[in-house]
Amino acid sequence: MITLTINEKEITLDKPVTVLEAARRAGIKVPTLCHHEALKPYGGCRLCVVEVEKMPRLQTACTLTVADGMVVTTESEAISKVRRGILEFLLINHPLDCPYCDKAGECELQDMVDKYGPTVGRFGEEKRKVPESHKDHILARNMERCIVCTRCVRMCGEVQGASAISIIGRGNRSRMEPFSSAAFDCEYCGNCLTVCPVGAILSRLYIHSFRPWQLDKEVETVCPYCGVGCSLVVQVRDDSIKRVVPRFDLGLNRGLLCSRGRFGYEYISSPERLKTPLVRKNGRLEESTWSEALSLVAEKLGQIKSRDGGTAIAGISSPRCCNEDNYVFQKFMRMTCGTNNIDTVSRTGFASAQKYFEDLLGQGITANMIDGLKNSDVILVLGGDPAAINPVLGLSIREAFRRGAKVLVVGNAKGLERYKTLQVMPEVFREADVLESLLIEIYGARGIRGEKPALDSGIRELSERGCERTGERDFDELRMTLLESVSISIVFGPDLVQRADGHRSLFAVSGLTYLLEARLYLLSEKPNEQGVIDAGCAPDMLPGGRPLSVQEFRRKFEQSWNGAIPSDDGMTLFEMIEGAANGKIKGMYIMGENPVFNLPNGSYIKEALKALDFLAVQDIFLTDTAEIADVVLPAKGWTEKTGTVTNLERRVQLQKKAVETMFGMEDWRIISEVSGRMGYEMNYKEAADVMEEMAKVSPLYRDLTYHEIGKGDCLWPYHGEPLRGEMKTVPEGAAMERDYTEDFYLSVERPLFHSGTLSGKSPALMKIYPEPALRIGTGTAEKGGLKDGDKVQFSTRTGSREAFVSIDDAIRDNRVYFSNNFRGRGALDLMTYNIDKVTKAAGIEGCEVKIKKL
Amino acid sequence: MFNDTVLKEIDDIRARYPERRSALLPSLYIAQKEFGHLSSEALLCVAKTLNLPEADVRGAASFYSMYRHKPLGRHLIQLCTNVSCMLLGSEKLADFISEKFRVEPGGTSADGRFSFVIMECIGACGTAPAMLVDTDFYDNLSEEGIVEILEKYK
Repeated sequence: MITLTINEKEITLDKPVTVLEAARRAGIKVPTLCHHEALKPYGGCRLCVVEVEKMPRLQTACTLTVADGMVVTTESEAISKVRRGILEFLLINHPLDCPYCDKAGECELQDMVDKYGPTVGRFGEEKRKVPESHKDHILARNMERCIVCTRCVRMCGEVQGASAISIIGRGNRSRMEPFSSAAFDCEYCGNCLTVCPVGAILSRLYIHSFRPWQLDKEVETVCPYCGVGCSLVVQVRDDSIKRVVPRFDLGLNRGLLCSRGRFGYEYISSPERLKTPLVRKNGRLEESTWSEALSLVAEKLGQIKSRDGGTAIAGISSPRCCNEDNYVFQKFMRMTCGTNNIDTVSRTGFASAQKYFEDLLGQGITANMIDGLKNSDVILVLGGDPAAINPVLGLSIREAFRRGAKVLVVGNAKGLERYKTLQVMPEVFREADVLESLLIEIYGARGIRGEKPALDSGIRELSERGCERTGERDFDELRMTLLESVSISIVFGPDLVQRADGHRSLFAVSGLTYLLEARLYLLSEKPNEQGVIDAGCAPDMLPGGRPLSVQEFRRKFEQSWNGAIPSDDGMTLFEMIEGAANGKIKGMYIMGENPVFNLPNGSYIKEALKALDFLAVQDIFLTDTAEIADVVLPAKGWTEKTGTVTNLERRVQLQKKAVETMFGMEDWRIISEVSGRMGYEMNYKEAADVMEEMAKVSPLYRDLTYHEIGKGDCLWPYHGEPLRGEMKTVPEGAAMERDYTEDFYLSVERPLFHSGTLSGKSPALMKIYPEPALRIGTGTAEKGGLKDGDKVQFSTRTGSREAFVSIDDAIRDNRVYFSNNFRGRGALDLMTYNIDKVTKAAGIEGCEVKIKKL
Repeated sequence: MFNDTVLKEIDDIRARYPERRSALLPSLYIAQKEFGHLSSEALLCVAKTLNLPEADVRGAASFYSMYRHKPLGRHLIQLCTNVSCMLLGSEKLADFISEKFRVEPGGTSADGRFSFVIMECIGACGTAPAMLVDTDFYDNLSEEGIVEILEKYK
C-alpha cells in the first residue's frame, strides 16, 4: 500500500502509478499537453509540473512515480508561473489563427492558455512560417500550429505500429512529416488525428466545414465495416454525418480506429443510394411504389410456393445486416415461404469455419476476447493478414509482439511485416499439408489430451496415416516454439477455407487448438458474420445454433412461431446457385448481398440467377446482383436504423440510429411487409420488438434487451459441448493431384482500405486506394521482368484484366494479388471453384495466371 | 540497393549492438559514403537493411547537421575560419578559393568538381590556416599551396 498526499488530500494506492495518474484518480486536474492516456509517459511539454516536498525542483507529474509518504502540490503561484512561461514559449511560434482554425473549441492549447496562459507575449520577432500541406488526400498538415508534443509520432509508432511519421529537423525547425514529406502513404488509421492537441493535423474530409460547437448531436454506435465491431461516435449536423471519432473510454477498441471505420462513413450519404423500389417492366428496371413492389414480391413468391413448393424458393441473407434483419429473414423463409434454403456468402469463409470448429470443439470455441491476444506468449497466424482483415485486432497482435510474444506467421501477412518472429511459406494448394504435418508432429510430441475421445482418435488416425512433409523453411522452429509455449492463440483467416480441401486445414487447426489448448480467433471480414449464424440464417440451423434436424428444437420454435418448419435441411449457398442454374430453384430473395460480384466465377453465377423465374434483391445500392433482379427494394443503412450486430468475439453490440432519412425501409420491416402480404403476419413495430422475440426464443440472447446491450459488455463466451456431438470424418489425404508447375497464382487481395464494394462508395477511401493494382513480390518481379508501375495484362483460363504492377516486399512467394473491390474489375470473376465436400465452401480454382507486359 | 560489401559492413556494425536501431547512425555514414549524400534512396536502403521504419530513419538523419542532405561535388573542401586561422588570413583564402575555383561557401561548383564548406576549428591552430579536402588534412596554407593541392583533385 502506498499512501501519498496530493493537495492535502490523502490518497491510497495498491500499485505504484505516476503522480499524474494518482492525481487524476483522485479527481485532481493537472494540465498536460504531451501526455496521452493511450501513450507511454513522455515528459516533453513540462506543463504537468508539480511541487513535491523534499525534492529540490518542480517535477513532471507524468513521469514521476508515486512513493509512500510523498506530499505533492499541483497548484501554486510558482507552478502557475512556470506553466505561464511554458505556454508563452509555445506561443512564440504557434499562430494565433484560432478564428479560422478547425480545432478552435476543442483545442487543448487554447484551453490551456485560457486557464494559465499569458495575456500578452514578449517575443517580438517573426513567427515561423510554414505553408499548410495539402499534398495528402486525407490528412492536412499545418506545421505552424504544431507544438512538437510528438503525440502523433508516438501514437503511430507505439500503438498503431506503422511508424509512418517522424519528427524531422530539430530545434525551431522541428516538424512532423511522413517519409515522403508530402503524401502520408501510411495505414491511414487517422489515430494521429485523434491525439493531436492542436490543429496541426486535420482531416480533409471535413476541414472548414463546421465548428465543434455547431454539432447537433453525437451518437455512440458500432462501425459497419468488419467483424471487430469497434465503437465509435458519429457526430451529426443537419441529419448528415460530419465526422466519426473514437473515444478512449468506449468499446473494445479503446480509442483506436482503422481507415475504413474513420474515413469510410461517407458511403451512407452517397448520391448513388437506392431511393425508391424498382420493378422490372419490359426488361428494364423502373421506379415504382412500395405497395406495387411489395405486392409483386409477395405474389410471385406465393405463386412459386403454391406451384413448385417452398423448396423451390431460396434466400441469401447478409452479414452486413443486423441480427434483427437476419432473424426476420430466416423466419420469413422458413414460415412464410416454407423452406430451409437459407445461406449467406459467409459460407465461403467464416460460416464454414465456424460450423466446423463448433461441431468439433463445442459451441463458443471462437468466443475469445480480442484483448486476450495481448497476453499470449505465442500467436499463430494462419490464412490471411489480420492487420488488414480486422485491423484493430491486428493491433493487439502487434502489441503482443512488443510485449515479447512470438508471432508465427504462415503465409503472406503484410501488416505483420515488422511484427513477426518467423514466417513459414506453404506452396499454393499445399497449405493443408503443412498444417496436417504440424498437427501430426505436435501430436507426436504431446500425445493425446484425452478430453474429447472422438477428436483424439481422429488425430491418431491422421497421424497413423501420416502426411508428406513439405520441408518449408523454419517449419521446425515453428513446431518447437509451439511446443515450448503455454499461452497460445491461433488467429485463423478466411483464405484457408477457400480450398477444395479446406476441411483438411480446418481439421488440422481444430486439432492444434485442442492439443495446444489454444484460444482460437476467427477473422471476420463483415460486421455481423457471427450474428447471421446466431440468427439462424443457415440451411441446417435454427436461431441460437440449434440444429434443425433435432425435432425437439424444431418443435420449440414451431410453438413460438405458430406454424410448421420444414424438417429437411435446406440447400447451402452453392447448392442454391446450382439449383437456380438447373431449374430446381425458381425464386430467390437476396437481402443485402451481391453474390454476382462476391463469389468466384461471377459470370456463371450471374447466368444462374438470370435463369430464375423471380429474383428479389433488397439493398442500399444497385449492385451487380440488383441489376438483374425483378424487384429491387431500397433498404435503410448504417446510422439510419437501430439494430444489433455480433462481433467475432461474440459481443452483441448496438448500432444506433443517428440520422433521419426519408428513403428506404429497415430490412426487417420490408420482409415483414412482404410476409404479411403472403399471409403470415409479423407484428413488429420496431427493431426492439424483434430483439424481444429473439431473446425469448434463442438461448443465446436470453433476457437480452437493448438497454443491456447498450452497455457494450454482452458477450456470450459459452464454452459448451457440440450440440450434436458429431465427429467429422477424418479428412482423407491430399484432395486432388495437381500440377504445381505454374509460375504465378492469383489470389484475392484483402486491402486494408476496402471492404466489399461498399467502401468504393466512400470518396475518402477511393482517394487512398483509387485503382486496383496487381501486387507481386520481388521474386515474381524478377522472374517476370517487371517493374513497379508497369502496365500488364494478366489472364487466367476464364478471363483477363489489365492493371499496373505494384511490387510489395511482403509477398514472399509466387502468388500475385488482385483486389475484389472494384466493380467490373474484380479478381474473383477470373477464378472458378470446386466445392469442398465437407464444408460446402467454394474452393478457389483456376487461379493459375499468366502475366504479359503491355 | 547496397552491394554485398556494404551489406557486410552494416551487418558487422549491427552485430555490435543488442538493438538494430543502435546501428542507425554508423549505417547512415556508410550510406552517405555510398550515395554521396543522404538521398531518399540512401535512407530507404538503410531502412530496409536495418528493417527500421523509413520515417524513423529520415527523422534521425535530419536531426544531425553533419550528415549531408544535399548532393555535393566530387570533392569537399572544408576550410577553417576560427580564431587562429582567421588571424592568419583564412578569410582571404576563402575568397580566393571562391574566385579561383568558382565555388561559393556552402555551394558546389558548376562543373560538380568541388563543394566548399566553411567549417569550425579542426584543431590545427598551431599550423593555421588549415583545411580538409575530403578526408585529407592540409595546413600552413597559402594561395599557391592551395592551387597546388586542389590540382590533385579532379
